[in-house]
Amino acid sequence: MEHQSKLETVLRGAALLLVVVFFMFPIFWIFLMSLQTNETILRVPPSINFEPTLRNYKALITGKLETSAASLEINFLQNLWNSVFLSVASVSLALLLGVPAAYAFARHKFKGSEDIAFTLLSFRFAPPLLVLLPLSLYFQKMGLANTYLGLIWVYQLICLPLILWIVRGYFEDISPDIEYAYRVAGHSWFSTFRKIALPLAGPGIAAAGLLAFIFAWNNFIFALVLASADKQPVTVGALAFITASGIQYGQIAAAIVMSIAPTLALALYAQKYLVEGLSLGAVKG
Amino acid sequence: MPVPSSVTKRRGKRLVSRRALPYLLSLPALLVCIGILVPFVTAIYYSLQRYRLSQPWAREMNWGDNYIRFLTDSDFWNTLAVSLQYAFLTVGMELILGLGIALLLQKRTRLNNAVSIMLLMPLMTAPALAALMWKLMTNPGFGILNYFLTLIGIDDFRWGASPSSALFTVVLVDIWVYTPFIMILLLAGLRSLPTQPFEAAALDGVPRMQQFLRITLPMLTPYILTAALFRLLESIQQFDIIYAMTQGGPGDTLTVFQVEAYLNYFQSTNVGRSSALLLILWAITFFISNIFIKNWLRLRERARGEV
Amino acid sequence: MSTLELRGVTKRYKKETVVDNVSITVANGETLVLFGPSGAGKTVLLRLIAGVVEPEEGQILIDNQNMTDVEAEHRGLGMAFQNFALFPHMSAFDNIASPLTVGKRSLEEIKTGVDKVAKLLKIDHVLDHAPRELSNGQKQRTSLARALAGSPPLLLLDDPLRNVDAKLRFEMRLELPLLLDAQGATVIYVTQDYKEAMALGQSIAVLAEGRIEQIGTPEQIYLTPKTLEIARLFGDPVINFYDVVGQRDETGVFVELSQQRLLLDESKAKCVDTPSVLGIRPESIKFVPQNSSNSIPITIEAETPLNEKIVTLAKTEGGREMLISRPSGTAGPATGKAFVKIDESALLLFDQVSGKNFVDPAQLNTEREFAA
Repeated sequence: MEHQSKLETVLRGAALLLVVVFFMFPIFWIFLMSLQTNETILRVPPSINFEPTLRNYKALITGKLETSAASLEINFLQNLWNSVFLSVASVSLALLLGVPAAYAFARHKFKGSEDIAFTLLSFRFAPPLLVLLPLSLYFQKMGLANTYLGLIWVYQLICLPLILWIVRGYFEDISPDIEYAYRVAGHSWFSTFRKIALPLAGPGIAAAGLLAFIFAWNNFIFALVLASADKQPVTVGALAFITASGIQYGQIAAAIVMSIAPTLALALYAQKYLVEGLSLGAVKG
Repeated sequence: MPVPSSVTKRRGKRLVSRRALPYLLSLPALLVCIGILVPFVTAIYYSLQRYRLSQPWAREMNWGDNYIRFLTDSDFWNTLAVSLQYAFLTVGMELILGLGIALLLQKRTRLNNAVSIMLLMPLMTAPALAALMWKLMTNPGFGILNYFLTLIGIDDFRWGASPSSALFTVVLVDIWVYTPFIMILLLAGLRSLPTQPFEAAALDGVPRMQQFLRITLPMLTPYILTAALFRLLESIQQFDIIYAMTQGGPGDTLTVFQVEAYLNYFQSTNVGRSSALLLILWAITFFISNIFIKNWLRLRERARGEV
Repeated sequence: MSTLELRGVTKRYKKETVVDNVSITVANGETLVLFGPSGAGKTVLLRLIAGVVEPEEGQILIDNQNMTDVEAEHRGLGMAFQNFALFPHMSAFDNIASPLTVGKRSLEEIKTGVDKVAKLLKIDHVLDHAPRELSNGQKQRTSLARALAGSPPLLLLDDPLRNVDAKLRFEMRLELPLLLDAQGATVIYVTQDYKEAMALGQSIAVLAEGRIEQIGTPEQIYLTPKTLEIARLFGDPVINFYDVVGQRDETGVFVELSQQRLLLDESKAKCVDTPSVLGIRPESIKFVPQNSSNSIPITIEAETPLNEKIVTLAKTEGGREMLISRPSGTAGPATGKAFVKIDESALLLFDQVSGKNFVDPAQLNTEREFAA
């Protein structure tokens, strides 16, 4: 590797550039679009020479959409709020349920624990619609259709297995002796869990929570089937928005930017944890 | 030694609570999930019925009829074919690209690390939103990609709107979103490989291509396999990108399993057929996931061992 | 101080029995060493006593109270771990304070308690350090301090010197008995090092494959090991073994080594006409001037001077290897041919098939008691 020819250096550089352009260009371009009015967007040939404006963002935030035909009320902020609320609430619930369960699976190899753990994991790989379609009928009967509660429950399908399997790995990495030492020093299992296991698995719990948040945020199909407009998160809302707003491309772009910004920011912030989480612990980051 | 006075009372009680503790800890999580197992059983039940939401009076058990009909149902075979095409095209391309990029970024330099972090961004973009982004870029009126194509002399490329290029378009979006996943896994794998075999090979003057084929590739195989199976599991169920991009169209060009099932359910209100379709998909994913979990566990053990 | 009694304690993992029907009684203030090779079940036994692992069968009594079903935190004992098991997210102070934070102690009391034990173990200058900032020796002392901080009447020490370097181990081996004496606690000490066992234990329990092979004072175990294996484990350099068959004539019971008769007393008479193993401790072989009566000719192969002794590897005329140990500073041949004499009173004889000592240590003990 040490002795690279000049040609190779150039080729590597070019390949790297190509990679960066392919993967970054769409985000960059949509961001540019979000700062333009329809007039500049529709110019042929396209140009990056334009006066940036925040009009699209303003329209989204105020909820007043001026189209050529009429003025339209689109409550995109509601979608954004739904995304925040659904993701935060789902992850919180999943942490509350998943962390103790992960601890049980890691520390007590009880009868059937592996089977249960695998069943939970297999939820992650089953086709979501298989469950969602009958569930939508049940939800209607139970009054859970189009409620936050129902959605948060179903979101556990994404969040719980993730948290369970990632956090379990972190608990398993703690030497049992450390917990034994605290027990022998006179502390109950619960205070051992609280003072020893939880703080030591803290980074793992945070990473799993972040990843679960990102997956919950990015989810599309659950809310598409189970929620109507007022409960929809941005993923579904943006699609509906396109249908509704027709040709307000600048605003669509602005909506997309606002929708993907939180997860991208989180991902960049927590990137060193993501690798391990994404592979469910199969690869060390 | 002052023995706690309550010791005698605690006896026996402790055994029960200690045995029960793990169950108690995992019970809430299980209960939440059991609620979700019920619909799974319901889906099996529906799949054995003639059941249309629009004709509730005609609902009856028809046992395996939904499945038997698939044999002669060209739509079903189309669904199966498109799903497999989509899955293998995406996973294949993403493997090649992901491996290539991982090799490119193998050295731990600042630039390489910065690029690998940058590549997280597409992966963290919601697939449905990614599809919308590409939709904006391939818009026939102002799409920047259309403009690029005209520069090299291709006019009127219809992307997702034309049956001949729709599959290509959604596969492209999938590649954009998920190649970084494979890249990240393989990069972590590459960087965790022991260095001695490479040093020995370099000393022996083994050509780089040979090194790659004889050492790198075999040692990387578990990572490649895990990444590929994981992606295959997701890809064969892809819904978000395809639905957001073309809703399965044009025509039935992109009616992969979940899209077809969704349309069956909500447009033709054919619950029975929709459920049967999903169960077939489930059987496929169940098969793949079993192989995947075995591989993944092995890799996980190894990753744990390195700590 | 506490008494400890184990009654038929058995622990199984899956199908493997790791602790097999162990019964021990430890008196108030006694130090019992659990000695055995790795995998013998020492650590598991200690954990059973601590209450962090549950036995399948048997009872554990502390001060005659049945503690078998009592949670670890209510057993009131202290424990130090082989890998130290310090809480990585707490300072050395908080680590040591952990047994003191239970119940309603004031901060002042906790501080006094920690300072006292930290001074004793000479780590009072690193109390605000996190475990990762401590040297290995300081970690080891912190873990001991933590075990001692609550002044537990029963102290469990799981091979605490295993993971420290030789110098430190030497220091601690001198320091530890004083420390334990000062505590006045009943101590169960696990080790794989026979010197540690001999130095620390008032009694030693030898474990192998989950069973107690022998319990006794250090002298008893050294002088009358119950089995060939125990004889091999105790002693450095390792004991010499020779396959022999006991014989008897009018002079009494004897075995032959290099055509020399080694006379045995009647207690070993069972070796007659039985395939046996003769055990000779390297220190009961002495160099003698040329060809005195009953001496055995040998050829010296190599000599290794150690700190306190010199070990010589030699071969008998029959080609059998022999290790000879003599105190440092005493004269002896370094090369070539020499003659040695064997102290016949220190010979050990084992059944070749069962590996058992022909002399039953238990019986010997009772005889000794009668004599006393």
